[in-house]
Amino acid sequence: MTKGEPIIFVIDDDPSVRRAMKRLIESVGLRVELFGSTQEFLEAKRQGAPSCLILDIRLQGISGLDFQRELANTNIRIPIIFVTAHGDIPMTVRAMKAGAVEFLTKPFRDQDLLDAIQLALEKDRSRRRQEEKAAVLRERFESLTPREREVVNMVVCGMLNKQIAAKIGTAENTVKTHRSRAMDKMQAQSLADLVKMVERLQITVRKAS
Amino acid sequence: MVISANVLLTGSYDYNEVGKSVLIAIAASYAALDLAGRVTAASGRARAGWLSGGAIAMGIGIWAMQFKGMLAFRLPVPVEYHWPTVLASLLLAILASAVALYVVSRQKMGRVEVLIGSVIMGGGVAGMHYIGIAAMRLPAIPRFSPVLVTLSILLAIFFSLLALLMAFDLREETRWAVWRRLGSATVMGVAVSSMHYTGMAALSFMRAAPPNLLRAVRISPLFNDGVAIVTLIVLMAASVTSSVDRQASAEVQRLNQDLEGRVAERTLQLEAFNQALKNEIAERERAEAALRESEDRLRLVIDTIPQQIWSGAADGSLDFRNTRSRSYRGLTPEELQGGGWQSVLHPDDRERVLKAWHESVVNGTPYEQEERHRGADGRYRWFLSRGELLRDSEGHIVRWYGTSTDIEDRKEAEDRLRLVIDTTPAMLYSARPDGYIDFFTKRWLDYVGLPLDEVCGWRWTDSIHPEDAEDFVGKWRSSLATGEPFEAEGRVLRADGEYRRQLHRIVPLRDKAGNIVKWYGSSIDIEDRKRAEEALQEAQNNLARVTRAVAMGELAATIAHEVNQPLAAIVTNASFCLRELAGGAQKFEKLREAIAEIVNDGTRASAVISRIREQLVKGAPEDVELGVNGVIQDVTWLLRNELTRSRVSLRTELAADLPHVFGDRVQLQQVLINLVMNGIDAMRTVADRPRELLIKSAKHADGVLVQVQDSGRGFDPEQADRIFQPFFTTKAEGVGMGLSISRSIVESHGGRLWAESSAKGALFQFTLSAQNDGVS
Repeated sequence: MTKGEPIIFVIDDDPSVRRAMKRLIESVGLRVELFGSTQEFLEAKRQGAPSCLILDIRLQGISGLDFQRELANTNIRIPIIFVTAHGDIPMTVRAMKAGAVEFLTKPFRDQDLLDAIQLALEKDRSRRRQEEKAAVLRERFESLTPREREVVNMVVCGMLNKQIAAKIGTAENTVKTHRSRAMDKMQAQSLADLVKMVERLQITVRKAS
Repeated sequence: MVISANVLLTGSYDYNEVGKSVLIAIAASYAALDLAGRVTAASGRARAGWLSGGAIAMGIGIWAMQFKGMLAFRLPVPVEYHWPTVLASLLLAILASAVALYVVSRQKMGRVEVLIGSVIMGGGVAGMHYIGIAAMRLPAIPRFSPVLVTLSILLAIFFSLLALLMAFDLREETRWAVWRRLGSATVMGVAVSSMHYTGMAALSFMRAAPPNLLRAVRISPLFNDGVAIVTLIVLMAASVTSSVDRQASAEVQRLNQDLEGRVAERTLQLEAFNQALKNEIAERERAEAALRESEDRLRLVIDTIPQQIWSGAADGSLDFRNTRSRSYRGLTPEELQGGGWQSVLHPDDRERVLKAWHESVVNGTPYEQEERHRGADGRYRWFLSRGELLRDSEGHIVRWYGTSTDIEDRKEAEDRLRLVIDTTPAMLYSARPDGYIDFFTKRWLDYVGLPLDEVCGWRWTDSIHPEDAEDFVGKWRSSLATGEPFEAEGRVLRADGEYRRQLHRIVPLRDKAGNIVKWYGSSIDIEDRKRAEEALQEAQNNLARVTRAVAMGELAATIAHEVNQPLAAIVTNASFCLRELAGGAQKFEKLREAIAEIVNDGTRASAVISRIREQLVKGAPEDVELGVNGVIQDVTWLLRNELTRSRVSLRTELAADLPHVFGDRVQLQQVLINLVMNGIDAMRTVADRPRELLIKSAKHADGVLVQVQDSGRGFDPEQADRIFQPFFTTKAEGVGMGLSISRSIVESHGGRLWAESSAKGALFQFTLSAQNDGVS
């Protein structure tokens, strides 16, 4: 769902800062939604448009960093740009490790913020594309029979047909049949293609779990 | 007595002769009695004379009577007498008389003596009679009738006894003596005669051959009468002599009596006088004894009194020392004579002492010096020697009297005390009741660098700083007037020209009646202390500032946030404006809004910075009237983000009608920040209950009470006081100064800060005085 106009969410407890940000971001033609607290943000309905979150670290009731973790835990994968009136290195490291796009200290240069927004939006778009691709692959993979999945996993691991046949106790030809059928279902052009697909799937699966 | 004619010769008595013999007997008796009195009256050689004379006269009388009696007996034969025998009878009579006189003339006549005397006398008389008879020479042999002989002897003894008793009785010469004596003499004479004639009756003569007539004489009538006459003459002479003697004796006696009377009178006088004299003597002896006793006592006193006593002549040479004085020095009295005492003087004192003594002696003024004397043990001790003069009525010096008192112990104590006084870092002085200062310790004089006479009295006021002098002296005068102790600070000019602050305290010493006798004062140089106090105050202020800064450092994130928020808004708005302007600036309305916000945020940032600056900038504490609630609001504003960040919910209950307090806003903010931050820290680990902080203000008896209650873990109640000590902390990165400084700030505002801990958490509270006092 890469469609729709990108939207920028801002959570800051300082109304003055919020208004200034809105002015600035809207001046480059982006939509902005402002929130005074994380609660307001969570309660708001969000569209599937590419988006990013500008998050103040010091907030009423909760720290921005904690909120970052909270979002990750609830599988809301929105790129975050941290802004803080008082940041330090450990805080920055923690935020970046947890996947923040940028960590800006107030007062920041307007261009830095706008660049970060662009970057974040791009990230969000690519993430969304990846997620779409992964969803297709998953569908294809899920269409395989259990035996085909088993054979694919062994092929990906680099086992020869003969070895696979010996392991599952069938004829080599049967293995070949499973293999080619699976390649078709997965729409893989080559063995290397299949390997990439399975790898991506495993990452996705791992991520999703 | 008629004898038979044949054999017996018949004798007859010539009664004429018998009568004569009786007269003689009476006369002899009289003489004997008379003489007995004489013999008794006489004494010494006169007595011997009277005794022998009397004995002779009486013996002759008795003999004559007896001889006459014999002659009166006439025999018919011629009778001759052997004259040696006659003489022997005479002698015997004289002897018997002597014995008789002797016996009666004794002072006492005992019964035994009388008996012996009468036996001897009676025997003598009887002997004389019979010897007289034996002297008869006639032609016959005398025969004796034993009965009559015995009777005659007994009669002789009996009459002798009678005679002795009578004589003894009559020997005193009394008024009727002559007559009584005469009567007695008659009785005696008759008695003697009767004895004689009894003896004669016992005698009878037998005719015999003619006797041997050798040495026999014939007694002629003439001789016979001659004997009687002579005898009478002798007796008369004896009597007359006796009488004259008695008269003389009586006269003498009278004179004697007269004399004796006078003597007795005189004796009485003398005795009275003697008695008086005796009394006087006894009195004097008593007085002397008393004096001696008194002297002994005095000497004892002088020698045992714990004083050395000496005295000397007017020229100053000493000649007396009591034992104590001598024994101390171990010198003999000779060695100490005159100027010998000078040898024991300590060499260092010698010149001074001798000079002073010389002056006293020359000028005649009392002497008083403290001097060291060498004792027998060779050690010197201090003595106070005092000498007084004794003058005569004309004022001349007669003697010196003096004492030397051992004052070693006192001196030692004095030295110690002086050392204490001189080394005590306080400067001491004393003043008369009128305020005239008469004594300063050396330390004070050294301090001002002036001699005593330049500071005594009221001259010390010149050393007081001119700005302080009026007030200082005024206070002193008012103390003198009221008798209240004096206490004041004043700057005093030290010898090096520096004015230094001193604390002076002067208290009065009163007598029993409550009158002030003396003032005693001390002054302490408090300049250094004052400076130290000021430095300490300064240091404390600095420390307070540092801890404020530390607190601010802890709040750095909050502070940065506070400042950066408006800055971020400003920068962002400004950037927007720039972009708009670069893009042609069509939407002026938007630009105006942005710029207005920029102005607001700029103002906001500035306000934040000023508040934080207040906390960090060093400044002297102010003392202004302020509302406690305002201070609480300042602090909650400053800390609101810190509270948020720590997820602490803050509640305030502020009383509306609080009195204003006087104090320093920043200091009080600091106290509250400290308490709130402590509360926040205490609740960091609290997860099981709400983190709540309550700040409460309320009226209090003294002014205002402020409470900060957290819901944290509290603290050990035993540490309730320790937590206020400097450098005590329960926090890993705490300095431990926060509460200590908070408490000193609160106390400097006349308040109190304390803590309580309960299950609910810790409660810190402080009071602030509503009055304007006790502010640093």
